Amino acid sequence: MVAETAGLLEIDGLTRRYGTIVALDGLSFSVQAGQVVGFLGPNGAGKTTTMRAVFGLTDLDSGEVRWNGTKVDQPARRRFGYMPEERGLYPGMLVGDQVEYIGRLHGLSAADAATATKMWLERLGVADRASSKVDVLSHGNQQRVQLAAALVHEPEVIVLDEPLSGLDPAGIDDIGAVLVERANAGCCVLFSSHQLDLVEDLCESVTIIDHGKLVASGRVDDLATSGQRRLVVRVDGERDAAWARHLPGIVVSETNGGEARLVLDESIDSDVVLRAAMAAGRVTEFSFARRRLSEVFREALA
Amino acid sequence: MTQQIILAVVVVFVAARLTLRYRRHRARPASTSLPPATSSAPSSKPPRRSVLVSVFGDAGLVAQREIRERIRGRVFQVGTAIILLVVVAAIVIPVLTRSKSQPERVGVVGALSAPLRTAVSATADGIGTTMTFVSEPDQSAADADLRSGKLDLLIVDAEQVVVATAISAGDTSTTAQLAGAAAQTLGTAAAFQAAGLTAAQADAISHAKPVPVLGLRPAATGHHKPSPASVVTLVLVFVMLSQYTTWILTGVVEEKTSRVVEVLLAAVRPAQLLGGKVLGIGLVAAAQASLLVAVALGLSKAVGSDLLHGTGALTVLVALLWLVLGYAFYCWVYAAAGSTVERQEQVQSLAFPLVVPVVVGYLVSVTAAASGTPNTFLDVLAYLPPTAPFAMPTLVGLGAATWWEFSISVALSVASTIAIARLATSVYRRAILRTGRRVRIRELMSAKPSASPRT
Repeated sequence: MVAETAGLLEIDGLTRRYGTIVALDGLSFSVQAGQVVGFLGPNGAGKTTTMRAVFGLTDLDSGEVRWNGTKVDQPARRRFGYMPEERGLYPGMLVGDQVEYIGRLHGLSAADAATATKMWLERLGVADRASSKVDVLSHGNQQRVQLAAALVHEPEVIVLDEPLSGLDPAGIDDIGAVLVERANAGCCVLFSSHQLDLVEDLCESVTIIDHGKLVASGRVDDLATSGQRRLVVRVDGERDAAWARHLPGIVVSETNGGEARLVLDESIDSDVVLRAAMAAGRVTEFSFARRRLSEVFREALA
Repeated sequence: MTQQIILAVVVVFVAARLTLRYRRHRARPASTSLPPATSSAPSSKPPRRSVLVSVFGDAGLVAQREIRERIRGRVFQVGTAIILLVVVAAIVIPVLTRSKSQPERVGVVGALSAPLRTAVSATADGIGTTMTFVSEPDQSAADADLRSGKLDLLIVDAEQVVVATAISAGDTSTTAQLAGAAAQTLGTAAAFQAAGLTAAQADAISHAKPVPVLGLRPAATGHHKPSPASVVTLVLVFVMLSQYTTWILTGVVEEKTSRVVEVLLAAVRPAQLLGGKVLGIGLVAAAQASLLVAVALGLSKAVGSDLLHGTGALTVLVALLWLVLGYAFYCWVYAAAGSTVERQEQVQSLAFPLVVPVVVGYLVSVTAAASGTPNTFLDVLAYLPPTAPFAMPTLVGLGAATWWEFSISVALSVASTIAIARLATSVYRRAILRTGRRVRIRELMSAKPSASPRT
């Protein structure tokens, strides 16, 4: 029993209603430590409510959150790190003081908090802003400080709500690298995002929810190779894949810069598609492909 | 007298310097902990911080942050300086205007017997000044000294008082008063002598005791001397209480609107966060108030102010106690109110109803203290916890409260503070994480807690 639940964050049957609105509808999934897990879903799916529930920031109608097989309580949450969706820092407090303070609230000694703060601000490239007030920092730097505040106490479980939104590519690379490194160090890392390309690059696994329920979950590789076959076809002069839209048993999943991604029914022979493509113009690309995460997402919600 | 005032100013200056240095010292660990010298950070922290944490745990950490951030803030530093200046001015200015610091110099030409000298000196005491006699060789030398200002007035042969400039009707200067009083004393002495009274008889007449005045009905309770100390302390209690409760309100609102509360409550319980805030701001408030009282009492002793006479010192200490009780009561109310706010702009409309009882208690008390007349309304307010912090010290200052009345009021205040703290913590816990709109009281009282939908 212990072995099965060690390093496992279990979201079990969470239900949360606000009047007639059902935010979480018996949501259950689990997150294994040692990997970065993307938490996906359309706006209003219940992602933030779920994350807040992990930290006891929302009252639940039913369900519980467990870590290592034990229901999460206040002492357990001290070993968790949280980065909320709406950034939360004292506007007028110095960056270094702030990160140190949050480290201390999570149980670090004064000396450890000072050392860890220095280390994380350096690691996230904002060490030179330690003596600045938060409200004079750029959006990207505030986000780095917020992440430092979530990580300063070396948490076992890291939950981040949209940590990459509004960041420049350098910021995304830095923060992404830190998340992967934490997961490799054995932490449980769950983060939500709408930037599916980034999630595909960073995450080993994803969990997709909608209307407060789980719709898909698994390793990105498994999800990508599952489902119907799909072809990537590029035909000169055909940017919106009009040639493929009338073919029976074919769905145009995406068109992107002249590249058409086609989902094939079991009954369809790819030769039929190739002939149709050749009839439409010069074929410059024709290959089978994995499902993209965006396709996994869209098809899971369909 | 001048020396005492200089001494007092020096004391205030040194106190201000020490306070500043203390603040810098406290501010230092935080700002230097990030540049390379890491080892300095833990060791340079004042020991009181660790005491806070070891006694109160996470709430102590929260309190520590409040103390550091408050003391570091410019608003606090400037505010403390201004309040200190007001206190110093309120004590020093009356002393300065009360009397000349130089003794009056009274020239004597011809004979002035020892009993008359004693009598004239006594009149100087009577008008609140001191004087010295200067023997002059003759009239012309004395006139010259009077003109040049070496003498303030001149007594010639115990029959005549001379001043440099004739005294007009409305002149209330010390010299004019002394000249008038000395002239009266000498005239009376001459009249006694002319009537052939012995020195003992003359003395008996001068020190005659008035006969008693009896009333048929007992005096109406309550006309007391206006108490300037009481008025000044009431103003200060009002200013400081308003300041501290505003800190609580804006502090809670800041945490909620900046959403930092989500990060904090992911680690500590709402009651710990609220308790720590109340504790931290309370300690800063107590330190500031104690500094003021220490300066006020020390300074009035140094310059010989009236503040320490009669019930003055008692009023100050009672006011300090009630400042603490008032803070303890109001801090919970303001914290609970702050937690229901969604945007910073709502603070104004929220603060108004909270300020009303404070203002009413303050105005009624100040009016009573200034006129020296307690009234029934004030008596009632002295037992209501929201107004007692002003009304009860006023009654004490007027000498119109017995010890048991005082104790009942304190007990009522403490009991209601405990009740209000529980209620406020419950409201705070439910409201602080809710966003989207102002939280209504009814929703907070309803059985089932709910939060705004956020996904």
